[in-house]
Amino acid sequence: MLLVVSFKRFIYQAPLLLAVLAGAAGCNLQKDIDVELPVVPSQLVTECYLVPGEVPRLTVTESVPYLSSPQPSVPTDVTVVLTLPNGQQERLSFKPGQDKTNQKLYTHIGKTPLVARPGDTFSLDVRDTQGRHVTATATMPTRVPLDTVEWKFNDKAGEQRKAYLLAKFQDPAATADFYRFQIHKDSISKDSDRDFSLDDRLTNGQLITLGTSYRYSPADTLLVTLYHIDQSYYHFLESVQDARNANGNPFAQPAAIRSTVQGGVGVFTILSADRRTVILK
Amino acid sequence: MRFLFFFVRYTLFFCFILLPGLVSAQARYTLSGFIRSGADRGVLPGASLAVPALGTGVTADSTGQYSLSLPAGRYQLVVSFIGYQTQTRELNLNRNQRLSFSLPESNNELGEVTVVGTGTLEQKLQTPQMSVERLTTKEAKLLPALFGEVDLLKTLQLKPGVQNGGEGTSGLFVRGGSADQNLFLLDEAVVYNPSHLFGLFSVFNPDAVQSVDLYKGGFPAQFGGRLSSVVDVKLREGDPQKYTVSGGLGLISSRLTLEGPIVKEKGSFIISGRRTYFDVFTRQINKLNKDAEDYNPIPDYYFYDFNAKANYKLGSKDQLFLTGYYGRDIFGFNSTNGFNFDFTWGNTVGALRWNHVFSPRLFLNTTVSTTRYQYGITNKLDQFSFGLSSDIRDYALRSDLEYALNDRHTLKAGATATAHRFGVGRLQAGSADGTLNIGSDVTYHGQEASLYASDNFRASDKLQLEYGLRLTGFRSGSDVFGGIEPRASARYSLTPATSLKASYAQMYQYVHLVTNSGASLPTDVWYPSRQNVKPQRSQQVATGVSFLLGDGKYLLTNEVYYKWARNQVDFRDGAQLFANSDLDAEFLFGKGWAYGDEIYLEKKQGRTTGWVGYTLAWTRRNFQPQRGTTGINNGRDFFPTYDRRNNLTVVVLHQLTPRINLTGSFVYTSGAPTTLPSGRFAFQDLFGGDVAAVPIYPDRNTYRMAPYHRLDLGLVYKLKPRRGESDLTFSVYNAYNRRNPYFVYFDQVKDKQTNLVTSYRARQVSLFPVIPSVTYNFKF
Repeated sequence: MLLVVSFKRFIYQAPLLLAVLAGAAGCNLQKDIDVELPVVPSQLVTECYLVPGEVPRLTVTESVPYLSSPQPSVPTDVTVVLTLPNGQQERLSFKPGQDKTNQKLYTHIGKTPLVARPGDTFSLDVRDTQGRHVTATATMPTRVPLDTVEWKFNDKAGEQRKAYLLAKFQDPAATADFYRFQIHKDSISKDSDRDFSLDDRLTNGQLITLGTSYRYSPADTLLVTLYHIDQSYYHFLESVQDARNANGNPFAQPAAIRSTVQGGVGVFTILSADRRTVILK
Repeated sequence: MRFLFFFVRYTLFFCFILLPGLVSAQARYTLSGFIRSGADRGVLPGASLAVPALGTGVTADSTGQYSLSLPAGRYQLVVSFIGYQTQTRELNLNRNQRLSFSLPESNNELGEVTVVGTGTLEQKLQTPQMSVERLTTKEAKLLPALFGEVDLLKTLQLKPGVQNGGEGTSGLFVRGGSADQNLFLLDEAVVYNPSHLFGLFSVFNPDAVQSVDLYKGGFPAQFGGRLSSVVDVKLREGDPQKYTVSGGLGLISSRLTLEGPIVKEKGSFIISGRRTYFDVFTRQINKLNKDAEDYNPIPDYYFYDFNAKANYKLGSKDQLFLTGYYGRDIFGFNSTNGFNFDFTWGNTVGALRWNHVFSPRLFLNTTVSTTRYQYGITNKLDQFSFGLSSDIRDYALRSDLEYALNDRHTLKAGATATAHRFGVGRLQAGSADGTLNIGSDVTYHGQEASLYASDNFRASDKLQLEYGLRLTGFRSGSDVFGGIEPRASARYSLTPATSLKASYAQMYQYVHLVTNSGASLPTDVWYPSRQNVKPQRSQQVATGVSFLLGDGKYLLTNEVYYKWARNQVDFRDGAQLFANSDLDAEFLFGKGWAYGDEIYLEKKQGRTTGWVGYTLAWTRRNFQPQRGTTGINNGRDFFPTYDRRNNLTVVVLHQLTPRINLTGSFVYTSGAPTTLPSGRFAFQDLFGGDVAAVPIYPDRNTYRMAPYHRLDLGLVYKLKPRRGESDLTFSVYNAYNRRNPYFVYFDQVKDKQTNLVTSYRARQVSLFPVIPSVTYNFKF
């Protein structure tokens, strides 16, 4: 599946090939221009990933005109209510902060660690004083364990000695399944080294193998994570990727964001992950 | 069975429309034969034969044949064609007679200015056929070209009503039609992907091509299968008298052509090839930088193609024509971390045509052809391999009968049958140890057939009609579709120098291009009509007036058209277009409208020739909410990316001296619609790190880029070699170095010290600055 992703990237990079031709003339072919963009109403943007055993955190921002100030617009009048599987409602407090573990910013936080089991359904209700109202529902997927994580070094020496990594897992045959696969180096507190999402359309019920190119050095510490995700989160991730790729690619069709929430933009999901930490020797 | 029943039922009805013509048959003498080029003996489709004393004439058909019924008598015949000297001949017609013509070129050196008699413009004035553009390689070779690479399709983009798919591309968007709505024919065989290098160059090697006819509307009944245009490409037949080698050395490619007799006066052949050499340069660059840190090697890329054609006379009444094309684009990438990537795509085309003359008034052409477009991607990483491929393959049979009934009626009838195989996607991924083995193969079959008949009816000296009917059918599995496609066009001569014209055509398209790029990419695949993917259809009406001005030197034409289309195809956001066994579910269907006014002034006589074309046009699409989606733009109309409000082209060719020709072309088009994000939102994702700005796109194509304009200049200088002929062709593309918009994107501006984003800006990217080039052409 990694190779499919590589192919897609090639298509997106097709304009570069044209630039090789144009580059023969050695000219600067880009310039700043003024554009008038249509004014669209600002929407509430929610980003919430519930993790079993962790205190619920949530980020609520607003969408802004593209060419406005880069500072995120954070509304301060938003109330957030999380409904637990047993129907109990928990109001998340507006207390902007940063998660020390993963350096992630949040605007709202709960009080107690979350108890969640596969199959549990949670609901989210986000409102502000302007009447904007975002709702969402999500069910925790089952956990799909990593079967094996292995690596292999090439025959080269010194700095040229590199390894590729393989991860294998068994896909459940009875369901349409979606995954997100990540590899972090050293810790999960910064951007991942590898990150892609996939479905089991062509591999339903099989032992799925995911791999990388020769890119890791001896003694690298890798955190390999497999998330079993729901379909709506998968579509959200794909649409975010498509929307970002469309900016700057004349061959790409601009894509609308397929949010998992209603009434705004964003994602609400419960993470179900299996993680291995390996040191390449 | 339903498919057969459909044809039997409508065939009866179909034959009926021929009866009015048959009952008016009279005994007259028939003059028939070929009109050929005197230089290479190639046929000249569209060449005209006029009988001024009777005010009548005829045009050579797509195989270069003509047939004309005349009363007995002594006549002066005038034969003419673009780029050839007009020929006159006396004839005493007292029996059915075969008479062929060989027109000398207007200048026997390479690259001469087109000088023709007025007959050609008069012929355009007189024919009921409207909305057609004819182009010869001789014309195209004179015009300045990007990188000096003469491209017939790009030259067609200079005609009114034809838009390109973006800077420098050879894609055609005709009267509001999308790129997949053009039928490309190479000697009667379909070409599914007519471009190299993502549309930058067309597959038609100008050295091998005789002429190109582009039908934008008023489609004759013998054409069908696409909604918006027919691009009918005819290859040259080769010199029947002597062996000739010709070719050219250009900035990015070289060409070589060999032609000559197979058996003198019996048959001839031509074989032509070309290859680019980007890869020669990029490999050297890679070699020089191989030790540089962080250097990313430039991928290998090149394309090549071969055209070949042979003809052989089996006797006085039979002739065979064999045509072949083979072309490939090859892209390869080998990374230092063990990742290998190979991407190959191209067409393979073959056609065998049998021409039989039953009598001077009755011709039959029967063609068997095959065509295949395929792409394949393979990559490997150590023990892992991955392959993705797709193709479309046709086997086709068509037969076309032409019968010159009398001086008032020329009848045409024919049938086609095509067996399609759509290899929508084959995916294979595996590992040497067998732990990974994924396979997927989505293949469909389809059968397409048609019957047609038409009558070119000269009702009076003032009124001429061409009317016909085409019946079409398509079957894929148990799904059967059919269409009735009436065609009609008429010309009424208000005065000897003024004609009014009108036409109507209904078209069906049973195959669809699966693409969401808005451009022509090699990975686009063709898909059959099926239960949930209905055929596309359109209707077009056009009316126009033509004036012959300046003592016949100028022809001014104004055509107004309106086209409406149903079952137009698009795809849902985030559609999975690769290796998807349920691709039907990704389609969206909508309506389309296109209307406009095309004004065209052309001059084809004298040392200065050329044309001015202006088009005012609108193209709209509408996709209502459907299939669990909100449609496109929530059901509101939108302009597709190839909608242009104004389009002006000026083309001038001037013969300065017998050895120097100067050419220039100017293009102005209104800005192209595009979609820019109106808003953005901050996205952190699962873990901390850089916060991404994710674009939010509003309605589709609401922003217009800056207008496009460009001036190209050319000079052809004929050398005087000891042997043969040669010239140097100089081109300057984008002479005043206009930075035309290719696309616009939004970028972050970062503080150099802190690397923090300080603002956002809009950036316009241009593709080609001023590009001078020189090409050396030779022939001996």
